[in-house]
Amino acid sequence: MRLLQRLFRRLLTGLDAVLTRLYGWQRNPIHQAGTVAVAMLLVLLATGLYLVLYYRVGSPAASVARLAADPWLGGWMRTLHRYASDLFVIAAGLHALRMFAQDRSWGPRTLAWMSGLFLFGAGLVCAWTGFVLAWDSFGERLALEGGRLLDLLPLFSEPLSRIFAGDGPVPSAFFFVNLFIHIALPLGLGVGLWLHVSRLARPVLLPPRRLMWAIIGALTLASVLLPAPLGPAADALRLAAFTPIDLVVAWWLPISERLPAGVAWAGSLLLVLPALLVPRLTRRPREARWAPSTVDPRLCTGCNQCPQDCPWEAITMVTRDDGSPTLVARVDPAHCVSCGICAGSCAPMGVGPPGRRGRDQLAELREITLPALVMAGTLPTIAVCCSQTPATHRSALRAHGAHVHLVSCAGNLHSSVIEFFIRHGAPGVIACGCPPRDCVGREGPKWLHERLFNDREAELQPRVDRRRVGTATLAPGDLDGTVAAYERFARQLAALAPPVSERDVELDTLCDPVPLEETAK
Amino acid sequence: MTVPRLLAATTATGLGLTLLAFASAVPVAYHPQAAARLRLSWSARPERIEVCRQLSAEEQAQREEHMRQRMECVGGFASYALVVEVDGRAIGETVVHGAGLRHDRPLYVLRDFPVPPGEHRLRVRLTRREKTDDDAAAFAEAVVPDADTGLYAGRAQREAAERARRARAAIPPELTLDTLVRLVPRQVALVTFNAERRVLELHGGGGTVGDVLVP
Repeated sequence: MRLLQRLFRRLLTGLDAVLTRLYGWQRNPIHQAGTVAVAMLLVLLATGLYLVLYYRVGSPAASVARLAADPWLGGWMRTLHRYASDLFVIAAGLHALRMFAQDRSWGPRTLAWMSGLFLFGAGLVCAWTGFVLAWDSFGERLALEGGRLLDLLPLFSEPLSRIFAGDGPVPSAFFFVNLFIHIALPLGLGVGLWLHVSRLARPVLLPPRRLMWAIIGALTLASVLLPAPLGPAADALRLAAFTPIDLVVAWWLPISERLPAGVAWAGSLLLVLPALLVPRLTRRPREARWAPSTVDPRLCTGCNQCPQDCPWEAITMVTRDDGSPTLVARVDPAHCVSCGICAGSCAPMGVGPPGRRGRDQLAELREITLPALVMAGTLPTIAVCCSQTPATHRSALRAHGAHVHLVSCAGNLHSSVIEFFIRHGAPGVIACGCPPRDCVGREGPKWLHERLFNDREAELQPRVDRRRVGTATLAPGDLDGTVAAYERFARQLAALAPPVSERDVELDTLCDPVPLEETAK
Repeated sequence: MTVPRLLAATTATGLGLTLLAFASAVPVAYHPQAAARLRLSWSARPERIEVCRQLSAEEQAQREEHMRQRMECVGGFASYALVVEVDGRAIGETVVHGAGLRHDRPLYVLRDFPVPPGEHRLRVRLTRREKTDDDAAAFAEAVVPDADTGLYAGRAQREAAERARRARAAIPPELTLDTLVRLVPRQVALVTFNAERRVLELHGGGGTVGDVLVP
């Protein structure tokens, strides 16, 4: 499974790089795959509402043919409905693959993974019933295959396939049931979507407005210019030589038709079961797992910042056991993904994953990084990079003379680390994060920027010269952008006076643990 | 966004959408050009095979009044042998039971046979496998119109009518279709059971179907 994850990560990083080169990381659609899928659901709802007004269960093929022939609205609405369903499947599939490749499919994310699979499956069933409703040769082919597969199960006393045999018209009830499923399932999708994001704080459901309208506009234009052809009406007593198949939704159909029904079921189980087991199969061994955040109650001031910043709603404020009037943060380990964003939010550095809290970051600087840098001479410009950023970008930064300092996520970086570097004589610190919608910790770059420049707790102290602090986005495929951002920052630093190094900077001792009994006095 | 990049992005989007439009309707081969098919499809009630005996007056007197049926029958549902021959060669032989675990549901036949296009002699036979002398009609004859009186008057006739209705609804003990069929490429010839006429019938799908030799 790890091998598969690495393979997909490599493939998706390549695709990510290509799309970033084309559209820029701000508009990279692959970063918005999940939200694009939701946007397509809305398009499907809107166009579906129109189509259902003209659909007749008594004469399905004729009513759809009438719609398709309507040059004003019906024709392109039907095509838009179809293209949106295809894009939904593509976007949802890409979203799932990204989550899998980025190791975001286990632990507290299991609920999102499983509900996502349900959404994807329900979307496919919805598409299946939609194509059957059109009752052209493709719809008939899907219905026949569905009937063949269902007939293997002990569900019906008489095979479902018999209604397609041609010894009578296909009953309207069949199309009514299909239409019911086709309409009822999206309601289920709504519930599934709610479940899918239920563990997220501030879930983003739609892509940025401009990108969303650009996608919808492009799809509409394609629907007008390239209308989806409708196959000949279904005829049970005629063997079609060719049928136009939607390979996005029904790529499996030509394979499944060639297999005995039992083998086809076994094959689909072989595809579905591993997907269901992904949370179990990708779960890291206990020793390799990042531990969930913990809270040092002696340091917690009850400021309520970490629950606000946590992207997973894993932190709540509770009353203290000792009767003290302030609240104390409590982390629910079942919800914590150990992104470390809370560590960057805590001014007294009392919360965060073990080894990655603010004071752990400072201790590492003091004991390992700083001595090594001092030994090498004067401190260079520091580029603090998220560990997810591409190695090529880090190498480019090194080649430009920066010292690359890694943190698990840009949001994990405590602002004191930046202050520490600058007060020890570093000419400047540039904090490099992933594109905001590609952040494994969800909100790392957003909170980093707020903490550095907009006084969000734990803010960069006013005593730090902001001109020596910068941020950059390191996106795969945008090496030029990374280098340009660094060079811009370097030019900005060159215009400043040489840095002054201070001695004995002890930022963490400003917030040393104080026994609670003393604070009560 | 620079102009070359804008052009590249527009071109890529156009290509992507064209690819999407193409992928949404790819013509995929379904059936060979020179293929035709014979399809058998029908559903009917299997005959109920019963051994009945008339209860004596003493036996009836021992029962509660509302349980006093004149006839007591035990049995099951018939099974049928289906044989399909094309040009004298058997292409399908099977036994057909009623559906359900106890075979008490209507039986169904749904079989497809590839047959080359052209003219063929087709013979389909469905024959009951069980031999029985039991006949619901005989039972009806045994009914004495005034056997029941008072509250239960007419019960015997109702029983007889119900049995006769079931017998009529059941598939006949033997069905045969012997006919010439002319199939054009990609045509499906359908053999089905006409419940009104109680015969097997041949329907074509656009091509010419042959004359029934032995209805």
